[in-house]
Amino acid sequence: MNAVQAIATPAATPPTRATIWRRLLADRAAAVAALLLSVLIVAAILAPLIAPYDPYAINLGKAIRTPDGENWLGTDATGRDIFSRVLYGMRLTLLMGVMSVLVGGLLGAAIGVLAAFYKRIDGVVMRVIDMLLAFPAILIGLAAAAIFGPGLGAVIFALIFATVPDVARIARGAAVGVASQEFLEAGRAIGLSDRVLLWRYLALNCASTIFVFLTLRFGQVILIGSALGFLGLGAQPPTAELGMMAADGRGLLFLAPHIVTIPCVFIFLIVLAANVVGDALRDVLDPRLVA
Amino acid sequence: MNWKQTIAGLVLGMGMALPGVASGQTLTVLRTVDSFSYDPQRATAAAASEIAFLLGDTLVALDFDMKTIKPLLAKSWTVSPDGKTYTFELRDDVSFCSGKKMTSEDVVYTFNRMLDTENKKPSAQKMGKVKSITAAGPTRIVYELNEPYNELLYTLTLMHGTILNKENVDALGKDFGIKGVDGTGPFCWESWTPRTEMTLKRHAAYKWGPPIYANKGPAKVEKIVWKMVPEDASRMAAVMSGQGDLTYAVPLWSVAELKKAPNVAITAPANYFRTCFIGNKITRDLMKDIEVRKAMNLAVNREDIAKQIFFGNAIPAPAYLHPGTPDFAASTQNTPLGKYNPAEAKKLLDAAGWKAGSDGMREKNGVRLSPVLFILNSGSNPQMATAVQGYMRQVGIDLKIEAFDATAYFTKIATQEFDMFLLCNPYASAGDVLNVYWRSQNRPIPNRMNWIDAETDGWLDAGLQASDPKVRAENYAKVQEKIVANALWVPLVHDMVFVAASKKVKNVKPHATFTSLLYKGLDVSF
Repeated sequence: MNAVQAIATPAATPPTRATIWRRLLADRAAAVAALLLSVLIVAAILAPLIAPYDPYAINLGKAIRTPDGENWLGTDATGRDIFSRVLYGMRLTLLMGVMSVLVGGLLGAAIGVLAAFYKRIDGVVMRVIDMLLAFPAILIGLAAAAIFGPGLGAVIFALIFATVPDVARIARGAAVGVASQEFLEAGRAIGLSDRVLLWRYLALNCASTIFVFLTLRFGQVILIGSALGFLGLGAQPPTAELGMMAADGRGLLFLAPHIVTIPCVFIFLIVLAANVVGDALRDVLDPRLVA
Repeated sequence: MNWKQTIAGLVLGMGMALPGVASGQTLTVLRTVDSFSYDPQRATAAAASEIAFLLGDTLVALDFDMKTIKPLLAKSWTVSPDGKTYTFELRDDVSFCSGKKMTSEDVVYTFNRMLDTENKKPSAQKMGKVKSITAAGPTRIVYELNEPYNELLYTLTLMHGTILNKENVDALGKDFGIKGVDGTGPFCWESWTPRTEMTLKRHAAYKWGPPIYANKGPAKVEKIVWKMVPEDASRMAAVMSGQGDLTYAVPLWSVAELKKAPNVAITAPANYFRTCFIGNKITRDLMKDIEVRKAMNLAVNREDIAKQIFFGNAIPAPAYLHPGTPDFAASTQNTPLGKYNPAEAKKLLDAAGWKAGSDGMREKNGVRLSPVLFILNSGSNPQMATAVQGYMRQVGIDLKIEAFDATAYFTKIATQEFDMFLLCNPYASAGDVLNVYWRSQNRPIPNRMNWIDAETDGWLDAGLQASDPKVRAENYAKVQEKIVANALWVPLVHDMVFVAASKKVKNVKPHATFTSLLYKGLDVSF
């Protein structure tokens, strides 16, 4: 270990990978949630292999069937198999969540860390971020749909757009804390470049905070994305997407409640599992909580 | 728990969610859409006409049979032997809600306002090719045409024929129909909060109701309050709980159960003709190909749509008009294009060079067969569109659906941005609907198909000008045969409408004219 690496070590020691897994598994709720989320993700990925029916194939002769041995989760108003559509629908719903936290997280983290590091741009950047924080995600979704037309792309754009300022604010806060520590000054004193200071000293030391926030954010964006789908701004028919499937069944709520309820239950499960896992990760990854 | 129990629970939960306005003499009507205006010459939607018929009167009325013309503001009329001159004798005891006496000058003003070319009105074409409209005395109107127009009396029964008070129109200016309408109808304007509530009060002096009602006036209920309740479940819960007295907007899934409900009566108008269809914009690249249009007709299973999407409250529509429609061409009822035959659809597409790609969807010269269908995002439209989309996929057509709410939809289908559109349109006769949709001059709306055909125009003219009903029917039959042969629509179903009313409301006899089921509402009582 050279001198610089020794200086760069933060005060609290981050947990090792083995510690993380051990502590995660010790939290039973988190373990169950992680398992559930894993099962849902795998089911979504393997949808073409698992789905018993073509999710787009209508069969009016079998319309509005309640769950039975033939159609495990019943059929919708046009006789499409709800189980098959849920599997395919989860792919898009999860894709929305992953894309928005990944892209929005990267952009937001970069903006936040840069703002914390370069004080001369901090004020301007963060005031812009403050302005963006004033726009509700649903409103951004409506605007995106008006500009690009309804579709999954518009929803993902809106979710990314809504995620960036939140992450930027969190990242900037974490980075300001790290930047005030002596090891950064020491790195600067020995002539390290801005690139090295930004990445190795600042960004990596903020990573766990941002990661925890993004895991919690994942559930939120799924909810917002599903709401936009429910409003008809997301995926367009016949594409299966959980929010849109719920909207499709709304008109038949009293005749066939399963059509609207089942996609909503899956949204609930995804969001709940993501939140519980995110909460547990925060407990595990936060060095202060470890200490 | 069945849906009735669920609704009962909702009702209890809702408590007095709707402000309680119901009283012994106030009829509360629940609706789903409002109009942008109640100017009977500017608005065209059923949401406007259902109120316009109560606020104002037309020269002549339409009987419940949807054929017979009855006196209303005109007590009698004559038609010249050449069919070009109509002379109306007006009643001399009619007054507007303001108390002003109605005269022939008001009638002339109303019709000239309708024909004003500077402020074009959407239904002006329904007035015929007018030479002049003049007052020959305080109670006589002479309506002269350049050519015979046998639909005139019928079209004068419609909303746009409502007689207006010139002073009221001038006084309100652009706010006419928004801040008020002074009509001669059985009810008077009291207040309107757009998209929330409309209140009409009884016109106390009214005594000139059409002879289709036992009561000639005044109306038996003191007030009618129209409330917006867009959600199906909330609306039905309100009717069942007595918070609303009546609604036209009955979700089809509830019809069978409502018929068994002890406190609600459900009725349907006789002679109601409404067809749900997909119109093909034939000037678009994909829709120019008649084989594609024919294949689309063959791909759709209309029987299943009527049975499953409409819960049996519709009949399949192999032809473009309901078989009971006056001047319906029976020859169009059993054409091959009206039959479900996906195998034949595939053959047609194969022969036309549309070959299936790796995903089963067809392409030709690198162009994917992926037409865009615009739909109104309410009622049974989304389910119908989804079903049609499924049928199209089965033959390799990747139909794209774009849904809009009522505020945007009619603007969107006035553009050239789509390949197909879905609409449900009411009509009274073949001439009524054919002359609207299929005249070349009516492009881009309501001839959204962009159908240009001199032969069709000629037959329509001949039909309109015919004094002999047989000649009229023959010409209209030729039009129907030609447009069916060209697969300009994909007709889906002829549907039905219902009125659900609390059983405490008496004498609810729905009228079929333009889905304005209360029409004059003179006999309705508690």
